[in-house]
Amino acid sequence: MTEKFSLEQPVNRRHFITRSAALMGGMMIAPRMAFASAPKKPKELIVRAWGGAWGDALKAGVADGFTKQTGIDVRLDFTEDNEIKPKIWAAVDQGRVPPIHVNWDTTTNATISALRGVTVDLSDLSNLRQLLPLAKPVGLEGYPLVNTYAYVYVCAYRPQAFPDGPPQSWTVMLDPKFKGRIALYDDGIGFNPVAVIAGGGTFADIPDNMEPGYAFYRKLKANNPLLGEDADFTNWFQNGEIDIACTISVNARAAKQNGIDVAWTVPKEGCKVDTDGLWVPKGLPENETYWAKQFVNHALTRDAQQKWCSLLGLPPVYPGIAPPPDLVNDVSYPTQAADFDKLLRVPSKALVENQPKWFAKFNEIFQG
Amino acid sequence: MKHSFRYPLAWRLLDWAEAAAAAIWPRRWASLTGYLLLMPAMLLVFVLVIGLIYIGENSLHELDIYTYRLKEAFSLINYRAATSATYQTIIGRSLGASAIVTAITMVLAFPYAYVMVRAASAWTRKLLLIALFLPFFIGQVVRAYGWLIVLGKQGLLNSILTDLGLPAIKLIYNYPAVILGLVQYMLPFAVLLLAPAITAIGEEAELASESLGANWIQTFRHVVIPMARPGLIGASVVVFTLTLTDFAMPEILGGGTTDFIANAIYDGFFQISNPGLGAALSMILVTIGSILVTIIFYLAGTGTLGFSGRRP
Amino acid sequence: MTGARGKSMVLWSVVIFNLITLSLPTVIILGASLTSGDIVEFPPAGLSLKWYGKLWLLDNFKDAFWRTAYVSVICALISIPAGTLAAIALARFRIRFRTTVQVYLLLPFTIPLVVSGLGMMMIFGEIRILGQLWPVGLGLCIINLPFMIWAVSATVNALDDELENAAANCGAPPLQAFLTVTLPAVMPGVITGALLMFILAFNEFLVSLFLTDARIVTLPVSIYNSIRSVITPDLAAVSVVYIIVAGVAVFALDKLVGLELFLKSK
Repeated sequence: MTEKFSLEQPVNRRHFITRSAALMGGMMIAPRMAFASAPKKPKELIVRAWGGAWGDALKAGVADGFTKQTGIDVRLDFTEDNEIKPKIWAAVDQGRVPPIHVNWDTTTNATISALRGVTVDLSDLSNLRQLLPLAKPVGLEGYPLVNTYAYVYVCAYRPQAFPDGPPQSWTVMLDPKFKGRIALYDDGIGFNPVAVIAGGGTFADIPDNMEPGYAFYRKLKANNPLLGEDADFTNWFQNGEIDIACTISVNARAAKQNGIDVAWTVPKEGCKVDTDGLWVPKGLPENETYWAKQFVNHALTRDAQQKWCSLLGLPPVYPGIAPPPDLVNDVSYPTQAADFDKLLRVPSKALVENQPKWFAKFNEIFQG
Repeated sequence: MKHSFRYPLAWRLLDWAEAAAAAIWPRRWASLTGYLLLMPAMLLVFVLVIGLIYIGENSLHELDIYTYRLKEAFSLINYRAATSATYQTIIGRSLGASAIVTAITMVLAFPYAYVMVRAASAWTRKLLLIALFLPFFIGQVVRAYGWLIVLGKQGLLNSILTDLGLPAIKLIYNYPAVILGLVQYMLPFAVLLLAPAITAIGEEAELASESLGANWIQTFRHVVIPMARPGLIGASVVVFTLTLTDFAMPEILGGGTTDFIANAIYDGFFQISNPGLGAALSMILVTIGSILVTIIFYLAGTGTLGFSGRRP
Repeated sequence: MTGARGKSMVLWSVVIFNLITLSLPTVIILGASLTSGDIVEFPPAGLSLKWYGKLWLLDNFKDAFWRTAYVSVICALISIPAGTLAAIALARFRIRFRTTVQVYLLLPFTIPLVVSGLGMMMIFGEIRILGQLWPVGLGLCIINLPFMIWAVSATVNALDDELENAAANCGAPPLQAFLTVTLPAVMPGVITGALLMFILAFNEFLVSLFLTDARIVTLPVSIYNSIRSVITPDLAAVSVVYIIVAGVAVFALDKLVGLELFLKSK
């Protein structure tokens, strides 16, 4: 304040009062002007999330921090990712406001929505710059979605059923002694590429020659595998229904933390690694789109990534975050390039284009 | 001074209402009154028909893998896919299961309905009715999970078996488990539809049959069951259609390898995001269901679902 | 085996078998909800009411519960005029193509719920009524309508049509006969049907999934979504709440019309 007044000028009391009043007024207007450029805050943001440990991780790691910073409440919608797809698509196509603001989705699903043109471009988010290349979706223009972490479809097993140590190869699933005690996802997700290699093919065979994989499935069918979704795997391990499964490491880790005897490994054929991401649907009012994007931006900050991903036990796209203590050097937590070499990553565009074919074949073999 | 005579208010209101009704729906349309009364229900179901038309329209377009939207051109490729070997198995399985479940449910429900109706004490009747209703209202999903706990590898039944030194049996995540789940889910429906028909058979008919020398099995075979035909038809139609279109039981108790048509439809719409294929399967299901129901109604009348047809 | 004793034994053994299979899941869920452990198991690991306590404290639970009640009331209210009039029409009046009409009215059963839900979502979305609660009630009424029609028809068929002729004989014009004779006589069926619709709507999750969103989610949808991720005893506790609601409904039904109504014939 004193700079305003040169020492040469007589300090006139009246001037002093007017000028300080002007300055005070200016100081009070200035912050309001800065906020006036940010759009009106909505009462709440609705974010779709998976339930249980997943939703809790998002809340503690991202949503709470966002609410603290901006004052906007975050409500979680636990509708399954598959089930919210037609709801969002119908809303956008009919010109209605979509039911959620942000979708926490698998990259494959998000890619499908992106291909349909129902996603908002996220290229202008400020936090994108410092992320690993893993964050950018492959084969799509710009950022219709942002990948937020990677996960591995590990080979989870009951140590008691493997007294000689972890299974070295996926072909152990064909062993008749495990008849009816194997589990896979009910759409072949996470295992299709692995089946090709386990069936004698190579990575180059994907996606054009999946025959070795189908042959493997036919042999596997004779061993009566159980097919289900995430919740089922936990149940099955918990109730001793299965000895070996191909599931996301998060489910195995959650079961372990609940006291169930479960371990996991990456057999010699490798495991599929995939990503999940966040995207914002079109059709929201302008101010809500802005704040939805801010939510995604917040999820990409170091703090949020560290909290969120360490609760999930998954490697984030923000570089340089140390793994939680129980996952240091764990095969399900790839951090170095060498770790990724053992894993199979199929570009999401190829997944999206081939998934229906692979699913149809998977169905044909296992439902028959 | 005498007050002028006024009819009671209720009478005047009714007369006014009568006049209004006659104005809106003149007497000469009296024979069409039936259709008027049917209108609200028909309109409500019409909403489903519009939805069906929309979905049927979807079934005639192929999915464009590059934009994941349905292509503009009309094509029957979805129907070809929907009748491929995999889906033939699924459709066959659903029809088979519906037939099996209907048969078993009738066998189990008939004695229950009979005992309930013929019970001497009101308390027995009430108890049986309550035992029927309570699970009826709990919903499929929760009951299915209850069965998982009972029949699971470490569940109640297997615990008893292993305690007795017997090996544990695989009782869930297979076809028989789905059938069991469906039967016990459909049981209340069947009993409720059989009961009115059995009540209509006076006890005298049975007494007469027995006095003529028939034992109870013969009475059942030649008197009770034929006379309960309307109930059997009504119950069969409901159980059959509900089983054919069921989603939750095969999903939860089937272990993923015993999909029914409804599960395949769900997969089509939600898992592989191919509304065209899902729509084609839906149209096939509705057509099969409606044709079967129509055949049964023509052959055997509508039973307790319908109307004794007292012609006005 | 063919004597009266034999008859009793055979029939009652089937009845008891049915009673066991009907009640077993209920008992299991009740027991599992009282567990002091963290997973759903039976017998429960220790007894405790903690999951019920957690439930009551859950804000979402209370909101979802009242929303479900509201939706169920709407469903019952809409079904009363539609179902009653349809049942009376089919029983009393001349309808051509009777069988076609009956197959048409059975469509809510022949069309799988997933398809009904999707179709209604598209239509309601198109006419912009999605996002409110009353369309959910409307949707649930539509898919359960055959039950209402059946409940009323059970009473209508038991009605002696001579009563209406008698009323006409005494000079009652048609509307009056309908209001003063027919309607009161079918009232038991209407009440039964309405309660049936209420409870069916209270439990419905598949169609509701499509017609609700996170702001107006109903209890069954909430449960269904939770089951997809992890099954904890609080879901068993919610189921017990459902059992209690069902129990209250059954009790109300008995007091109002007498459960024996269901046994009445045509």
